[in-house]
Amino acid sequence: MREQAGVLANLYSEISLMQPSGRVVVTGIGMVTPLGATASESARAWREGRCAIRQPLPELTGTPLEDEGVAILPDIDIADRLGGRKMLKYMSDAAVLGCLAAREALQDADAKARFLPERTGIYAGTGLAAANLSEVRTMVEESIDENGQFSCRLLGARGLAATNPLLSFKILANMPPCLISIMEGIKGPNLIFTPWEGQTASALLEAWRAVSVGAVDCALAGAADNAANPATFVYLRQSGLLDEDEYPASGASYIVLERLETAERDRRRVYVQVEDMQLIPSDERVTDPLSERMGRTFAAAPAILLGLKSMNGSSRLSMCGVDGQKFRVELKALG
Amino acid sequence: MRRVGITGFGVVSPIGIGKSAFWDSLSRGVSGIGLITRFDATTFEVHLAGEVKKEVALPEPVAAVSTDDPKVGFAYAACAEALSQAGLVRLDSRTLLHIGTSLEIFDLKKVIYDGKADFKAVARDSLKGDAPPLQMPLDIASKMIMEQFGRPEQVLTNCSACAAGAQAIGHGFHAVRSGRFELAVCGGFDSMINPLGVGGFQLLGALTTDNDRGLYACRPFDSTRRGTVLGEGAAIVVLEPLEKAEAEGKELLAEVVGYGSTLDAYSLSAPDPDGDGAARTMALALEDAGLSPSAVHHINSHGTGTQLNDEVEARAIRRVFSGTWENIPVAATKSMTGHLIAAAGPVELGACLLPFLKGVLPPNVSLDRVGQGCELNHVRDPGTPFDGEYILTNSFGFGGQNASLVVRKYHG
Repeated sequence: MREQAGVLANLYSEISLMQPSGRVVVTGIGMVTPLGATASESARAWREGRCAIRQPLPELTGTPLEDEGVAILPDIDIADRLGGRKMLKYMSDAAVLGCLAAREALQDADAKARFLPERTGIYAGTGLAAANLSEVRTMVEESIDENGQFSCRLLGARGLAATNPLLSFKILANMPPCLISIMEGIKGPNLIFTPWEGQTASALLEAWRAVSVGAVDCALAGAADNAANPATFVYLRQSGLLDEDEYPASGASYIVLERLETAERDRRRVYVQVEDMQLIPSDERVTDPLSERMGRTFAAAPAILLGLKSMNGSSRLSMCGVDGQKFRVELKALG
Repeated sequence: MRRVGITGFGVVSPIGIGKSAFWDSLSRGVSGIGLITRFDATTFEVHLAGEVKKEVALPEPVAAVSTDDPKVGFAYAACAEALSQAGLVRLDSRTLLHIGTSLEIFDLKKVIYDGKADFKAVARDSLKGDAPPLQMPLDIASKMIMEQFGRPEQVLTNCSACAAGAQAIGHGFHAVRSGRFELAVCGGFDSMINPLGVGGFQLLGALTTDNDRGLYACRPFDSTRRGTVLGEGAAIVVLEPLEKAEAEGKELLAEVVGYGSTLDAYSLSAPDPDGDGAARTMALALEDAGLSPSAVHHINSHGTGTQLNDEVEARAIRRVFSGTWENIPVAATKSMTGHLIAAAGPVELGACLLPFLKGVLPPNVSLDRVGQGCELNHVRDPGTPFDGEYILTNSFGFGGQNASLVVRKYHG
C-alpha cells in the first residue's frame, strides 16, 4: 500500500507543477437523457433531430405549472443495468441516473480492467437537492399539531419514526458520486461540485487536468441532475432560473478520460481528443445548446453536451450556465 | 515549486467567534457542546449539539439570508475575518474561491399549507411572486461573499460532506502551488442543527444519545463513545505564494505542504474496516509534502466519537506511522466543537495553527479511558507543550471521501 501510495503521491504532487501537457482522450461515454437510455441512443436521437417527449407532472396538477410538461426519461430496467436492487434503497433519482451513466462509460472504456482503482479518480457535478415528495410527506403530516402548524416536538415524537431512515443518504449532495465509487470500486482522488452548470464544467476541467499531468491514469467525469423533480421545477420557475419557454429535464452523463498513450497501448476506441478546456467568468446570458430539444438538465448539461459532441465528432462546444461561468472545449477527432 | 503560506484565517465555531476566542478555548479545553436551542429537540433522542453561541455581525443582505440558513452567515463572517487578516479588500482575477458545505437546509414548515402537507397548494403559493424561495442552493454563501468582496476568477462549491472543507483547502493549495492562481480563499461552512439535519442523522444512528454527558458527550477514542455530536460554524483560510507574501510583509500563520484525497469505495455510512482509504490519504498527503511519516510531530484526528470511525482511524494512523505513532500526540478537537461536517476540516486546520502560534496542543477533553483498538498517543491535558515542525490533519466523510492536509510551522 505504501509503495503504491508513494507512486501515486509523486505523480499527484506534479499536478501542481505542470500545466496540462499530455494528450487526453475520451474513451468511454455513458448517458441517460430524455432522448435515450444510453449514450448511443441519445446520440442517435440527437443526430436525427428528435426532441424529448414532455409530460405534465401529476404532483403539479392544479398549480400554475399543471400544463407545463417536463422532459420524461425513457423506460429503463434499472435493476438489470445496475446488477440488482440492493443499493437502490440508498439512492435518490439523481444517484440512479448517475450510476447508470457511470457504469456505461466505464464499460465502454473497459476502464475497470485496465486501470488500478487507486489510479482512477472521480470528478463530478451534482444538482440541487431533490427529495422525493412522498418520502417527506408522511414525516411532515405526522409533525403537524392541532393548530395546523409544524411542530418540532411532534417531529421528534412521531415524524421521524415515519421517515425513511436512509433519507439523509438521498439528499446529501455528494452521495451520487460516492455511490458510483462504491458500486464501481473507484478509490482515487475526487472532487464533487454543486449545483449548477459551471460547477460540473469545473469538475470536467479538473478531470482533464488531472489526467493530463498524470495525477490519475483514468478519470471518470460527469454529473447527474434531477431537475424534473416537482419541487425543483417549482423552485426553478419561482427563482427565474428557467425561462418561460424552457422546461426542466433530468439526466446524467459520465465520460472516461485517459491519456492517448494508454488508449493506443490498449487499442481502445478513441472518441475524441480534448485539446483545450476553459472556464471563464461571463456576464453573457445563459446558453444551453441542449435546452430546446432536451430540456434544461442544469448540472448535467455540460457533461451531456460533452458526451454528445464527442460521439458526434464535433470540434468544439460552448455553453454558459446560470452561475455565470462560460465553458468552452476544443475537441479533435483522431484518424 | 511555489511554497504556499496561510496569510489569513477566520473562524466561527461553537467555542468562539474569531480566531483569538477560538484558540483561547482550544488551549484551555473549553467544550462548546450543550443542549440544542435552535429548535425544540426535547422529543428527539438527541438533545445535544455544538451551537455557535453568539450572533455573528453581518451586513444586511447576508443577515437576511442567514435568518433562514445560519451557515451562510458563518461563511461570510469567517471569510471577512480571513480576508481582513490577509489585507485583502476585494477578490479579483487570479483568485480562486473554493468553499465546501454539505446539505441544503430544508425548512419543513414550507411544505405545510392550511394545516396540511399539501405540496400543490405550496406550489401555487410559491409561484405567486413574493413567496420565499422553496430551496436554498448550496452556492448561496459564495454569492453573498462575491456580492460583498467582488468576483474571483473561479468559484467552486464543494459538497464532499465531511471532507468538503479540507478538499477545498487542498485543491486551493495545489492551485496556488502550481501557479494556476495567485490567491486562494478556501474553507468550509456548515450547520445541520435544524430539525431535519439532526433528525436525519439521528435516524442513521450517527449521533450520541448520551444526553446526560452534556459538555463531554462527544467522546472521540473513548471506551464509552456512543456517536458524534453535530456542530456548526465555518472557517476560511487565505492561501498565497509564500515568497510573495513575505515580500509584501504579510503575517504568515503556517505553510501548507501536503494534501491527499482518496475514496474508500466501501460503504456509504461506514469506513473500510481495514482503514485502507484513510491510510492511503495520509500517505498521499505525506508524499505530496515530500515527508516521511517520522517527520510528523502532531496529528489532528478526524475523531468523531463514533464507534467504528475512531477505531478505523486509529488503526490507519498506527499503520501509516508504524514505529513512530507512540511518539506523535493526537488531538481530537471534536470533543470540544462537535462535528462541523463540511466545516470540520477547515476549523481543525485552524486548530493546527494553535500549536505553531501558541506552543500548546488542543486536548481531547472527554477522553477518560481509551477504547479498545483506539490506542494512540492521545493529548489529554490542556496546556500540553508543543515545539514541532509538521502537523497532519484528517477529514473523512460519509460516502467514503477522505482528505488529509499537512502544514508546517512558519519560521519568519
